[in-house]
Amino acid sequence: MSQAFFFILFVFLLVESRLPQDIYLDYSVALNAEQDIELDYPVKYFFQLDPLIWITSLISGHQWITGFGWALGIIILTFFFGRIFCGFICPLGTLHHMASYIRPALKKQRMISANQKHASQRFKYFLLILFLMAALLGLNLTGLLDPIAFLFRSLALAVFPGIGTGIKELLDLTAQSDIKILNYISYGGEVLVSPVFGYGYKAFTSAWFIGILFLFILFLNRIRPRFWCRTLCPLGALLGLFSRFSILRLEKEPEKCTNCNLCLQSCQGAASPVPGQEWDASECMFCFNCFNRCPENAIVFKLGWPPDVSKKPDMGRRAVLGGLLAGVSFPFLGRLDGRLHHVSDARLIRPPGSLPEEDFLKLCQRCGLCMKVCPTNAINPALTEAGMAGFWTPNLIMIQGYCEYTCTLCGGVCPTGAIRKLSGREKIETPIRIGSAYIDRGQCLPWSGNGPCIVCEEHCPTSPKAIHLIQGTSLSPAGKKVNVKLPYVDLKSCVGCGICEYKCPVKGKPAIRVIAAGESRSVANQILLEL
Amino acid sequence: MNCHPITRRESIKKLFKITGGLALTGVMTCPFQKTISAWAGSTNKKFIIEGIGQNPEYSVKALVEKVFEAAGGIGKFVSKQDVVVIKPNISWARHPDLAATTNPEVLKAVVELCQEAGAKKVRIADHTIHDARRCFAITGAGMVAKNTGADLVYPRPSLMRNMKLQGHRLDVWPVFLPLVEADKIINLPVAKVHSLSGLTLGMKNWIGAVGGRRSALHQDIHLTIVDLAQFFNPTVTLIDATRIMVANGPSGGSRSDVAVSNRLILSDDPVAADAKAAGLFNLRPQDIGFMQLGEKWGLGTTEFQKLRQTKVII
Repeated sequence: MSQAFFFILFVFLLVESRLPQDIYLDYSVALNAEQDIELDYPVKYFFQLDPLIWITSLISGHQWITGFGWALGIIILTFFFGRIFCGFICPLGTLHHMASYIRPALKKQRMISANQKHASQRFKYFLLILFLMAALLGLNLTGLLDPIAFLFRSLALAVFPGIGTGIKELLDLTAQSDIKILNYISYGGEVLVSPVFGYGYKAFTSAWFIGILFLFILFLNRIRPRFWCRTLCPLGALLGLFSRFSILRLEKEPEKCTNCNLCLQSCQGAASPVPGQEWDASECMFCFNCFNRCPENAIVFKLGWPPDVSKKPDMGRRAVLGGLLAGVSFPFLGRLDGRLHHVSDARLIRPPGSLPEEDFLKLCQRCGLCMKVCPTNAINPALTEAGMAGFWTPNLIMIQGYCEYTCTLCGGVCPTGAIRKLSGREKIETPIRIGSAYIDRGQCLPWSGNGPCIVCEEHCPTSPKAIHLIQGTSLSPAGKKVNVKLPYVDLKSCVGCGICEYKCPVKGKPAIRVIAAGESRSVANQILLEL
Repeated sequence: MNCHPITRRESIKKLFKITGGLALTGVMTCPFQKTISAWAGSTNKKFIIEGIGQNPEYSVKALVEKVFEAAGGIGKFVSKQDVVVIKPNISWARHPDLAATTNPEVLKAVVELCQEAGAKKVRIADHTIHDARRCFAITGAGMVAKNTGADLVYPRPSLMRNMKLQGHRLDVWPVFLPLVEADKIINLPVAKVHSLSGLTLGMKNWIGAVGGRRSALHQDIHLTIVDLAQFFNPTVTLIDATRIMVANGPSGGSRSDVAVSNRLILSDDPVAADAKAAGLFNLRPQDIGFMQLGEKWGLGTTEFQKLRQTKVII
């Protein structure tokens, strides 16, 4: 029951991470220049609930993220009641639960052996220690495998856009039809579908890979039930560490046991529910299946006081040492490409309000919230632009979208503060720059003599404009002199919003492009003498 | 004057004959109306009305109403059960006082007038440049739609249809459907300067009515403006000159780019409306390419004396 509730809540908040549906009904936004468009719903909630995100943000970025009280509450809850987060709250857990047990792939004996406690379950401790160690040394890779971040990223960047594109293409087909009824169905359908799946076709770099990875992880449940939860989940590992003193525990009466192994067959956590073996509190997800299935009532969940110390979480020396070693090496491996100590890649354009790169990498959980909320679909997961250390961190791609001049939604949703919350006024007046535009005169239509244009200047939102038009002459390809208005970029005024690149008629490789140099957040990455 | 008193029956018969005859002639001349007004010099003179709000406390709504009254009342343009679509300029996610978009008070007044005239449905449609939801919010158009019950159409690819524009430069182009599928169309631009075409007024407003590669239109901006203007046949053009952008157009961005001019220009001649508005910027229609081309291709005239001119001052 609660699983369904939290899962639906998660999906609901995910869908709501976008421009609010009825913002345009509030005139005060138009009248009052001070008021920014804000989201009504607490879309960060699940990230505030997630203890792993809280702890790594604290260790790595020295940041007490807003709402960390929820995560603290979960840890306290785990202390007393074990991994009930995994069994009752975690939405990814719910998905795995459904994937494992709807028409289970394994029959009886194979299921029993699959649910035996297995050494591979130590792997999640390896991952946990890796992430914690790396965070300590300044690289926060947790979000790649943290369940909340993983689920959000997969759904928001792959699953929903995938389904949305499919539905949209169908609706577009029917819209073009000559049959009026089909047209109306299409319009109506679009009105219903767009708020959930996005207006327009959403696209994200490497979204195909995010989707395949998600499907693969779900598929693993057919091989071993709740594979992720047992073997991979670093949050499960963390909560397992705290479960030792749980007052809610499984009490066994070995005399009643007939060795039917029904409990083991239904055990989701591979936590040794069979009487005769010691129950593993740090693996148990409190699904209560074993308790429900046992025909002899040989096992029972009881609240006991004082807390009985269960056996230590089975981490294994290899997992711990391996985790420490890997955790130490990753931050340094990440710095090998020089992006932190030299000037970063020109293609890496961070969202407005982003912290300087070193701090950014400490806090960004690669969750995809900023990518989901961006109204123009400009923010994408970086692949190589930020190096290995910045894989899947946000990066603006200006041919896909641009940064709306007064929009500050990304900072408003970032759960860890890697992107600072800005007010619209602060963004415009400081001004917060995310890069600078430059014109490729060989490609620009008026500069290359291919015709008049000025689209870049027309759309430049700053006042005074950062692009000026100067009447001049150009040589046309035929050799004639033509009178055209020629665009010039004024770097002092340019904020790097990218609408010029987005609207430039030279499709695919625009004649005016934005590079990262000039971004406000970096002291070194500047072009001009004075800021 | 006939001394013989007319009976009720006879008078009713006479009335039916007269209205019947008129209706018949009306129907028969319908197909020829466009030709007549375009070529032969209309039997019905076109009008141009300039409304000025001189009193510093004037109400924008009152000015809109007075301007339409001077044109013969909204009933002349909008009939009962009409589907009316209004094409404002809400393409930029800018606050109304930056004059990058149509004044929402003017928009609201026009919507309410149409509703009073008995329109079945009033739609507001514009293919925005910036993200449409942000435009609707920040320009105030969304609030207008909410308060008046007008239909604010979200611009999306499924509502674009390729149509033959039959222009001199543009052949087939995707058009935003709600602006064609309507009984009456009201063009409601805001008056601004423009770095390429000089000014952006009524005729240029139609660029917001099409989709496709709009950025390419700049390569022959004056001709493409006229091509689009001759395709869309608005019932009237109402140029919002309550606040005009006099520098850094068309996107502006600062209150120093705005001049408060408190004017409205209403006309059923698109070229004349634009030409009149040019005067507000101290520019001559002869110097503006698309106005000259528009006159040349018969869309209208820049010679105001050929029209019924009226000034309304409140």
